[in-house]
Amino acid sequence: MTRFRSAYGDSPLHLLAVLASFAIAGYAFLRIVENPSALGTLVWFGGAAVAHDLIAFPLYSALNLVAHRGIEGPDEAWEERRRVPLINHVRIPAFLSALALLMFFPLILGLDAANYEKDAGLSGDIFLTRWLGLCAVLFLGSAVIYALRLRRAQRGDEDESAEPAEPSPEGT
Amino acid sequence: LPRPKFPEEPPPGPTRPSFWRSPLRGLWLTSILGSALLPLIIICAVTGFLSQAAYNPGLGHNSLLPDGGLGINLYFFHWPTSPSWLYAFTQGLHVISGLAAMPILLAKLWSVMPKLFEWPPVRGVAHALERLSLALLVGGSVFVFGTGLLNIQVFYPWPFRFLTAHYYGAFVFLAAFGLHIFLKIPVALRTFRERGVLRPLRPGLSGTVAEPYEEGHVAALEPARPTISRRALLATVGAASVGAAFMAVAQTVGGPIRQFGLLTPRSTQLDSGPNGFQINKTAAAVGIGPEQTGAAWRLRIEGESKREFSREQLLAMPQHSYDLPIACVEGWSTTQHWTGVRLRDLAALAGVPGSAEVLVESLQKGGALREVTLSSGQVAAENSLLALKVNGEDLSLDHGFPARVIVPGAPGVHQTKWVATMKFQAV
Repeated sequence: MTRFRSAYGDSPLHLLAVLASFAIAGYAFLRIVENPSALGTLVWFGGAAVAHDLIAFPLYSALNLVAHRGIEGPDEAWEERRRVPLINHVRIPAFLSALALLMFFPLILGLDAANYEKDAGLSGDIFLTRWLGLCAVLFLGSAVIYALRLRRAQRGDEDESAEPAEPSPEGT
Repeated sequence: LPRPKFPEEPPPGPTRPSFWRSPLRGLWLTSILGSALLPLIIICAVTGFLSQAAYNPGLGHNSLLPDGGLGINLYFFHWPTSPSWLYAFTQGLHVISGLAAMPILLAKLWSVMPKLFEWPPVRGVAHALERLSLALLVGGSVFVFGTGLLNIQVFYPWPFRFLTAHYYGAFVFLAAFGLHIFLKIPVALRTFRERGVLRPLRPGLSGTVAEPYEEGHVAALEPARPTISRRALLATVGAASVGAAFMAVAQTVGGPIRQFGLLTPRSTQLDSGPNGFQINKTAAAVGIGPEQTGAAWRLRIEGESKREFSREQLLAMPQHSYDLPIACVEGWSTTQHWTGVRLRDLAALAGVPGSAEVLVESLQKGGALREVTLSSGQVAAENSLLALKVNGEDLSLDHGFPARVIVPGAPGVHQTKWVATMKFQAV
């Protein structure tokens, strides 16, 4: 047992589970391998991982970093400078809008609008308008919430600065 | 066994633990996202396999997959005809859970990204196999969810058949997913025991602290100051998930909420008329024109005897009306009021009054679904119709004029439009 563990790096149960998993994946692989488009399928399968891990992830991380520096400044003292941090009021609606675009880009951008319109008999133009409307509502809603939070914070400031001047109700 | 040799010190960049700064990453965040994803993926997988069962792949040429899917027919039961909304429910759920899972999946992948660059890249056989399986998990998840998402938008930029790739891709993904669950559930449970399930959601931004760094896990070694609280992050991901789910729900439930589906492909309708509801494929899309569906059209019925009926003759037969849905594999559905002749009455006219299957052929020239075999249960159901009218009006050409099949509980593509021939066979 100890010899197995030192050679393999984990328990025999781990190996069994891994083998069972690969057997199922191997079965699925064999089902498509005689398919004329098997190579295309594999390329898209591998491409999916690469597209996410090495393209989408660095891209959105960089965007997030740039947005944060642009809005709140380069150093880490940003939180003290602003009564209510602005970053999330930009980042959250931007994230939701971008996600909606990512999920429905073929319809929103009309990439194969002719196919959609021929199949469904419905107009494909509506999706861009609806997506822009959704973005507008998200950013507007976020702005309104930001304004409300800012006002509340300012009121809190006034109360705070007013406090020492007020005589205490107990009249110490 | 030989161990690969890597330098002790990782090269500069993402392989160094100090590269990863987010204070929100950590076992708790990964565990809570994984726990939210788990039921959604199970629902999506189960309803996906049920969809294959709903095609009754054991009958005729119904199976659209090479080798009936598994090489053996796992789908030993015939898809039921009651409740009539069965496929609208299971397939609606497939697309709803799939869309709901996507934002959580992306957040989950973000939360574990440091693991992709862990150093050394390979620590031994077990570790290497596990990492290979993770490649299948990540590639599989993006592939299966991505192909499903593009399919419902009828966008096909790839060189393969969607159904085969989506189905077998799901095997690869679920195999890796099962292993991942088996290996990681103990880690998630330990994390929840130590840190609580919901406790880390309590603090706002000022009270948010980094999860503790543990070697080989995802929490940051040198965390930056938090810029968002855990609850705000999860609320954002949750809002995205609920929003995506709602868009899918809207085109499944229909009625007044359909239009609020916003971005889902059947969240609009043609018009408010009796034939204004959603269409999977128009007559033009499959090359059907009025010249094939005019007065010369005849329904051919085969069984013990061969007979032909004009539309007028069909309309003169006993007519029955039911509210039944058409439910598309792409996850949308719509319930309408259909009127027509019972399939079992047509079976009797063909001289097969007992238990019978029927091969339904469309005027449609091409396409995998130009012919469909309906089970004896589907023929016998009292509300299985060869519909001639909908909502009191003649069917429009796009909805299958002169006649279309409407079978309760069945996938929309089995409700053959522009029916030309029905071949009944006793079973």
